[in-house]
Amino acid sequence: MFICHCGINIGGVVNVPDVVKYAMTLPNVVYSEDNLYTCSSDGLSKIKEGIGKYDLNRVIVASCTPRTHEPLFRATCEEAGVNKYLFEMANIREHCSWAHMHEPEEATEKAKDIVRMAVAKARLLKPQEEPEIEVAPSALIIGGGISGMTAALCLANQGFKVYLVEKEPELGGMLRHLHKLYPTMIDASEGLNKLVKAVKPNKNIEVWTSTVIKQVKGFIGNFDVSVQKGNGEKANFEVGTIIVATGGDVFEPVGIYGYKKYDNVITQFKLEQLLKSDQLEKPERVVMIQCTGAREEKGRTYCSRICCMTALKNALLVKELYPETDVYILFRDLQTYGKEYEDWHRMAQDRGVKFIKYALEKPPEVVAGHDGKLTVDVYHALLGEQVKIESDLVVLSTPLVQHEDAKGLSQILKVPLGPDGFFFEAHVKLRPIDFATDGIYVCGTAHSPKDTTECVSQALGVASRAAIPMAVKRLRTEAITALVEESLCSGCGTCVKICPYGAIEKDEKGVARVTAVLCKGCGTCGASCPEKAISMRHFTDEQVVAQALAALGRAIA
Amino acid sequence: MEASKSVLVIGGGIAGMQASLDLASRGLRVYLVEKTPSIGGRMAQLDKTFPTMDCSICILAPKMIECFRHPNITLLTYSEVQEVSGSAGNFTVKILKKSRFVNDEKCTGCGVCAQHCPVEVPSEFDMGVGVRKAIYVPFPQAVPLKYTVDEEHCLKCRLCQRMCQAEAVDLNRKPEVVHLNVGAIVVATGFELFDVQQRSEYGYGKYQNVLISLEFERLLSASGPTGGHLLRLSDGRIPKRIAFIQCVGSRSLKGGVSFCSSACCMYATKEAILIREHEPECEVYIFYNELKVFGKGFQDFVTRAQNHWGVKYVRALPGEVVEDSKTGDLTLWYEDTTENVTKGIKADIVVLCPALVPRTANKEVGTILGLELDEHGFFKPKDTLFAPVDTNVPGVFICGYCQSPKDIPESVAQASAAAARAAEVIALSASKEVH
Amino acid sequence: MTGEPRIVAFLCNWCSYAGADLAGMSRISYPPNIRAIRVMCSGRVDPAFVIRAFETGADGVLVSGCHPGDCHYVSGNLKAEKRMLNTKKLLKLLGLGPERLRLEWISTAEGAKFAQVVTGFTEELRKMGLNPLKAEGNPKVSVSTKGVVSKALKKTNVQYCLECGKCSGSCPISRINEAYSPRRTVERFLLGYENKVLSGTDVWTCLTCFTCSERCPSDVRFPEFVRACRSVASKEVMEELCAHRGIPLSLSRIMTNPKIKQERMGWLPNGAEISQKSDMLYFVGCLPYFDVVFEDFNLNLLKIPQSVVKALNKVGLKPAMLSNEKCCGHDLLWTGDVENFEKLAKMNVADFKETGATRIVTACPECYRTLKKDYAERLSNFDFEVLHVSELLSELMDKGQIKFEGKLPMKVVYHDPCRLGRHMGVYAPPRKVIASIPGVEMVEMGRNRENAVCCGVNAWLSCNKYSKEVQIERLMEAKATGADLLVTACPKCQIHWKCVTSEKLPVKPEEVTMEMRDLSVLVAEAMHLT
Repeated sequence: MFICHCGINIGGVVNVPDVVKYAMTLPNVVYSEDNLYTCSSDGLSKIKEGIGKYDLNRVIVASCTPRTHEPLFRATCEEAGVNKYLFEMANIREHCSWAHMHEPEEATEKAKDIVRMAVAKARLLKPQEEPEIEVAPSALIIGGGISGMTAALCLANQGFKVYLVEKEPELGGMLRHLHKLYPTMIDASEGLNKLVKAVKPNKNIEVWTSTVIKQVKGFIGNFDVSVQKGNGEKANFEVGTIIVATGGDVFEPVGIYGYKKYDNVITQFKLEQLLKSDQLEKPERVVMIQCTGAREEKGRTYCSRICCMTALKNALLVKELYPETDVYILFRDLQTYGKEYEDWHRMAQDRGVKFIKYALEKPPEVVAGHDGKLTVDVYHALLGEQVKIESDLVVLSTPLVQHEDAKGLSQILKVPLGPDGFFFEAHVKLRPIDFATDGIYVCGTAHSPKDTTECVSQALGVASRAAIPMAVKRLRTEAITALVEESLCSGCGTCVKICPYGAIEKDEKGVARVTAVLCKGCGTCGASCPEKAISMRHFTDEQVVAQALAALGRAIA
Repeated sequence: MEASKSVLVIGGGIAGMQASLDLASRGLRVYLVEKTPSIGGRMAQLDKTFPTMDCSICILAPKMIECFRHPNITLLTYSEVQEVSGSAGNFTVKILKKSRFVNDEKCTGCGVCAQHCPVEVPSEFDMGVGVRKAIYVPFPQAVPLKYTVDEEHCLKCRLCQRMCQAEAVDLNRKPEVVHLNVGAIVVATGFELFDVQQRSEYGYGKYQNVLISLEFERLLSASGPTGGHLLRLSDGRIPKRIAFIQCVGSRSLKGGVSFCSSACCMYATKEAILIREHEPECEVYIFYNELKVFGKGFQDFVTRAQNHWGVKYVRALPGEVVEDSKTGDLTLWYEDTTENVTKGIKADIVVLCPALVPRTANKEVGTILGLELDEHGFFKPKDTLFAPVDTNVPGVFICGYCQSPKDIPESVAQASAAAARAAEVIALSASKEVH
Repeated sequence: MTGEPRIVAFLCNWCSYAGADLAGMSRISYPPNIRAIRVMCSGRVDPAFVIRAFETGADGVLVSGCHPGDCHYVSGNLKAEKRMLNTKKLLKLLGLGPERLRLEWISTAEGAKFAQVVTGFTEELRKMGLNPLKAEGNPKVSVSTKGVVSKALKKTNVQYCLECGKCSGSCPISRINEAYSPRRTVERFLLGYENKVLSGTDVWTCLTCFTCSERCPSDVRFPEFVRACRSVASKEVMEELCAHRGIPLSLSRIMTNPKIKQERMGWLPNGAEISQKSDMLYFVGCLPYFDVVFEDFNLNLLKIPQSVVKALNKVGLKPAMLSNEKCCGHDLLWTGDVENFEKLAKMNVADFKETGATRIVTACPECYRTLKKDYAERLSNFDFEVLHVSELLSELMDKGQIKFEGKLPMKVVYHDPCRLGRHMGVYAPPRKVIASIPGVEMVEMGRNRENAVCCGVNAWLSCNKYSKEVQIERLMEAKATGADLLVTACPKCQIHWKCVTSEKLPVKPEEVTMEMRDLSVLVAEAMHLT
């Protein structure tokens, strides 16, 4: 037992010598001392000294929060030959002396209780091992579009083997269909060719087109992937990491604004094709309607990010081709974010593109006259009046949506899809391109709609994330994991369903089995098992209950 | 000369930290340089993050501690890069470690010194709304938890020195110069706030109850100067109506910058929800021009704010804010498009969302590294589309806001991208040597 | 020019018109030069009619009514007398001569008198000569309307409008007049509804105070856009909206005639020293005319130029002055009459050059802006340095040449005129000058400098209930500072505020009535020159 004064932070409130004395009265405590600063090099040597001198096989430091120095003290114990999981901390600073600065007596009593709780747990601690697994230095990339190819090249250049699997007959994804890429306005085909030219001859990249994923077994470092080509050919890869770069589809707004009813109502995507193949006949007046089938009240509630810029880009291209053509853009909120996209709005204004804001509650109406000419009737949210625009070409900007076959892939990989249909990451803010499942990553539109530069950033990002386990080659996995006592397991499957990491499966015998390497030790399975068949290492039921009882003043048995 | 297997990361915010962790985790050595006394950056100043409403410091602190503890990361806080020479694979870097006037090997972060220091100055971390001492840590979860003496305001009374039981205060301590050899450099210098006093019609600096968003965030924070209690600075009253004004200095051809800061619509929504959580009786208005809801989960976040939390969005930027000097109450004049009238609305507090601009210090960093900046002060990517984190200098990469306006998830992803490129360069230089 | 003089006569229905009838019935002859207009009462005759008549080329105007005491409408004729005396003063200033306007009392029975008056008047006019200001020929004002709006859209950045609404939120009129919105006006133009807007009142409502353009993030210069549109907008609508029945604009237009020889130096104080040629020219502006038109306000506007000249003399400067100075043309330019503006500009500049001046100082912000900016932009040969009197005083103060005598212990609040402040960025010099006067304590209104609120009227347009509300609010703001004196550097602001406080107020007089003074007058006082 090492009780810290922490200068006067603890010692100024808590009567530390008193607590030291009290600790000695507790069962199993053979040695107790106080330090001025246990975390100082001086204090750490004292710990090592104490372990050696008194043959300690459990160590408690009563000081600050474990969130700061637990790893330090654990490392110190290991250096002195004591397994790091036989170490426990009692927080008598943040939870005690700092919180009760004006009640030193109560604080001292509380410190004694906290120490007693730590002892109650420490007695029941068992040593734990952090198993090491090997990581195969190869990655599977699902999707051969700009994201997949960028990630593939980056990993290949770092010396890793990459299997690039694409379900279409050729590489490129959406890039094959696009005309020009904003904001630099290079030809999409130029960008595509450059990438393909770099990918194809790369010795580290094995390209599999017309290929789909059939099955994925295993865990990080050791994924066993089965694929099938269009011609029936099957293959297996062993990879250490998997990257999902499957992109998205363009939504077809059947039934909205006369799409498929009138010939001259097309999608923005179709306009892009027409411009690309130089087949756009001179329209008199183009009306683009943004947020078609997106930002809805129910269903596709999200904003598809790229449609406003695409509309501006195509509006400018149309104006360049046909300067007399009128172009109207009906929008709700113009998504011209970032460093330079606002400038595009002004460019369009410069070229005479007219902008009309409409509100969600009063969407435009598209009706056809007898002559086939369309009239777009929109309530101008700002002027508060109806505006009727005659048009011979209505262009609907529709959102990017998840592929139809994504559900299948998500089940194969055991990674989730979010409420908007796109793949759902480990943490929206700080782990945007990781999945909760170790070793699997996501990038590009598979994550959420994004444009070229954003896809490339994320693709390079996953290359970094995937490279980490592959570069280190061996992974130490968590020691604090769940353990199933097979004899008690009734095969109910509750734990399988409840595990956020997909770490529990039912084996051939119908009994739950934890893949320790995937388990993060959250403990939710242990808390839900009706048969009490699951125990959580280092946080067993007994240990936790012992702390609770000790807290309530019950003597430690 | 042997190619260096280490990377210099300039900037200890979330982007710098993420790049450092990625590189360190794969076995490369990282030197993380941060010019303030602690890493953490802007995220540490936030109360919650959109759209998840996570407690910012709670999700950030483990990353900060990881940076501190990682055997491959050397933190050089309160330090600045002074010179860089060489090329990809082999840069020589000179770093100035400013003196904290505290021996950081002895300092335990106990805080007794600050308790006794007689000098109080506005806290930079609290955006001037709160105070700190002349010997201080910028915030309680600072990493490293080492105290720093603010030479400018220190009275040299030496009370801290006398009270320090670890004998860590050393007012004669000199700054140190460190020379490093690195293979690649990642720049992640983040952003600063546009000076909204330029927009005099909103009265910032004149009216006590007109605040900028980051100041307001500090007021909302549980760890902030009011302990998270929503109070008016002028009279301590609990506000009944708060108004946000978006785009102050953004998207402007005049009196500001032309670009969109890309995070303000969302963080205003976040602060609005926080207000409604703290004070259900308090009305919140957000005055905007275009609602930027392009990110993952953004639109749903706004919809929730409107429908569930009752935040009112008005599509009009107010022309001016006027103060009733007797009460400190404010009136905003704006054009209401549903009623088609220009009217005034009273508010207890007005929060301005300023443009987030690249740091003026970027120029200096650019000069030291030979990097090109654009007209706004962002570092120029080599190819916006296909090489967004590369720069005109091989081996030097950029990520986060200093590359272009973006939020936290994009900064994190781009930081990993810069790490990937840095690792690639080092691998390439190493393999060149082998041949 | 030769020819017979043309007389326009306004005859009251009950007396003078009947008198003229009697002359005819009695077969009494008189020269055929007169054209009679029947009005119910001589009190109906607006000075604007008279000015308009002379502007259009009348050689003489006769106004006739019942004898005093006999007016069918009690005292209409007495009002006519007052007005016509006032109008004569204007005619004197214009150099037309007050004799060209005759006021007579002719009763129903005085047919002979009528003929006598007409004969005598016609003879006099033959001797006087024809109206020198009669336009040669009948020039039609032809302005090319094509492309004016679309050019202006680009030039003034209106096409970059983001519809953020900051303009409407800033506009002092928009706040009170529900129907007026700069944002919506712009939107209508962008959607191509320009004809509708140009034929409506919106294009004339803008005060051109520059508050919106000062704050617009897209640098949309809305007032300049409006100005460009006014040149192609409906003039009929403008006429209806013009205050004081367009008299000031008429006067400006009359001055475009090169034959005009004004008599406008009567205000010059005894002992004032001016030169024919000098490095510095003092440009007075239309103050002599305003002094007459707004006689009833007792503003003593001529004290402004008197103060300026005295102050300049005191520091040893003998400014040149134009004895036939033309209106700078500000109001014509801002109401869309570009052609006449350019005429005035060219004439003024030719006169400036005659004096050999290199520097021009003026005490009127509108003249200041017009000379310094609009003349310089539109004329190729304008290379004069233009100063507002506050800038000159500030300069002289720096040289130590201004000496104040004694103290003026008072609290002073300064109002930034739109043309001096937001238009031209001159905020500091007036404050410096005022603050330097010993004893003066300066206070500021909450909305000052670039946030100052316009005095509510622009180029005599849009003076209506909305302007009144704006004016009253501004005066209350000034009053609330606790100041004893409201100082402004623009005579027009003074006129407009005096006007509103002379009317029936919706608030208590003590809430708005403030002593007002022009900056130059205050300075002259402090120098003990007056």
